[in-house]
Amino acid sequence: MTKPLDPTETAGLVVAPQLPDILPDRKPLKGVVGFCRRNPSIAIGAFLLAIMFVMAIAAPYLWTVDPTALAPSRRTRIPSADYWFGTDMFGRDIYSRVVYGARISLIVGFSVAILASIVGLVIGLVSGMVRWADSLIMRVIDGMMSIPPILLAIALMALTRGSVGNVIIAITIAEIPRVARLVRGVVLTLREQPYVEAAIAAGTRTPMLILRHILPNTFAPMSVQATYICASAMIVEAILSFIGAGIPPTIPSWGNIMADGRTLWQVKPHIVMFPAIFLSITVLAVNLVGDGLRDVLDPRMAKKI
Amino acid sequence: MLAFIVRRVIATIPVMAFVALFVFSLLYIAPGDPAAVIAGDQATPADVERIRQGLGLDRPFLVRFGEWLFRVLRGDLGISIFTSLPVSQLIAQRIEPTVSLMVVTLLLAILIAVPLGVLAAWKANTWIDRLAMAFCVTGFSVPVFVVGYLLAYVFALKLDWLPVQGYTPLSQGVWPWFENLILPAITLGFVYIALIARITRASMLEVLQQDYIRTARSKGVGQTSILFLHALKNAAIPVVTVIGIGIALLIGGAVVTESVFAIPGLGRLTVDAILRRDYPVIQGVVLMFSFVYVLINLLVDLVYTLIDPRIRY
Repeated sequence: MTKPLDPTETAGLVVAPQLPDILPDRKPLKGVVGFCRRNPSIAIGAFLLAIMFVMAIAAPYLWTVDPTALAPSRRTRIPSADYWFGTDMFGRDIYSRVVYGARISLIVGFSVAILASIVGLVIGLVSGMVRWADSLIMRVIDGMMSIPPILLAIALMALTRGSVGNVIIAITIAEIPRVARLVRGVVLTLREQPYVEAAIAAGTRTPMLILRHILPNTFAPMSVQATYICASAMIVEAILSFIGAGIPPTIPSWGNIMADGRTLWQVKPHIVMFPAIFLSITVLAVNLVGDGLRDVLDPRMAKKI
Repeated sequence: MLAFIVRRVIATIPVMAFVALFVFSLLYIAPGDPAAVIAGDQATPADVERIRQGLGLDRPFLVRFGEWLFRVLRGDLGISIFTSLPVSQLIAQRIEPTVSLMVVTLLLAILIAVPLGVLAAWKANTWIDRLAMAFCVTGFSVPVFVVGYLLAYVFALKLDWLPVQGYTPLSQGVWPWFENLILPAITLGFVYIALIARITRASMLEVLQQDYIRTARSKGVGQTSILFLHALKNAAIPVVTVIGIGIALLIGGAVVTESVFAIPGLGRLTVDAILRRDYPVIQGVVLMFSFVYVLINLLVDLVYTLIDPRIRY
């Protein structure tokens, strides 16, 4: 790419416009290295996420102890060789709790992303394809979207017992409207496309029309949206657990560890700090993958946002 | 114009009606006996029975909804189970800190985010732009309480520049009030700034490529005036939209920020209500916040016509 000429610098001069290079100056690299070179944000995000996944799966083998074991004689120790991240007010090892906590964040993040995408996709497709259902569904969606998502999740959690499943359902319900809106928008644009009209004219039945012509085109925006939902779900889970309306306090999750450290944060900031760092890195990783995916799947937007 | 406002206001009625129905029925969607859910784990059967009668569970759902809605419309949000005070009174007591926090955050966020986005668009693809966008990705990724604790630790505990926690009412002086709100506002505004800056940059980039910007440059208009007078005006619609939508983030974030900074506002009220399963309070707060959110987005729609006279409804 060449730098565009600044009109103020060349005032009064006639300069032949520089033509952009049509051919790239070197052959694009193939394979994994080439992909990473071209999409550094996906590469970094995926790498960080992979570390978190390994940590979550291999938690018992990563020099951890029982994350729920109480040891009243060793309360609120600061990080040391014995307790890498210190201990909390019940003497539980924070390193072990943080490593095990990765499981909850990843499970919640990915479950919500998948569930919200599937349900949102179905609702969006029905809304976009079935005229009479559209206005009714959109009123409901509008109503749900006018309740701030975190408040909606809080209200739902206040009704049920705290459990991982309930947290996933509550956050999913709060996220569905946005997916449904997105899919409906895509379907409505696709319906006007000449190739879809041609398919209808050629007598394609609705199920086949959806499966072959509509569905594949929703994939790109959906996958980008799903990564953002995943990131947002992880944060909402931590917030719910932090205010005491999420994962039961007996299960080590990053939000719960921070909730435990909350009363002591002025004197023992390490209890809050370690889960905070891990949560931030994980969410950042998911966001980086999302940004990278958006750039790959929608090159027109790539240079803008 | 007046016709448009009326039509737009009428259009929010079904939305608000749905929100009311949803908030009301939340209690009945949940598995189990709503009276037992409200009563909690330690309740005696007599408590459950008392609550069941208080809710009027023996009558049809729509009748109960109608009665409830009628009372809500008159400003009666029910009685708190835990404190036995009217919910509307509890909300009124707690509203000042939350409104203060949100207004300060909103102003701070707009004052930082819009110039940041404009700068990033102006210096597109330079290190300034990259830095600004890296900040935005970080803003989306770091949860609000993490920012809160970090800021409080550095600026209040270590440097001792600002108060650690608490809230001072505006009636006790503007500076004490503001001093207590600086850290919470930055905390709460972090995501919001990232969101607004990103949209401002995207919108500005599109506008800066248009012909009239080149015309302005060629007739010698200064850079600042091109950016802020010529370009920003036309880039403002998506920015205003996202400021309106982002209020949802502020409302959710306020619940957490108020916990971190021990601000006695509506967020604290919500958290306390959840821990005590004080359902009328939760209903009241959710309903009120949703109403404010709808109202703000209605306002945003009206602002469109002020920014862009071409928009006629």
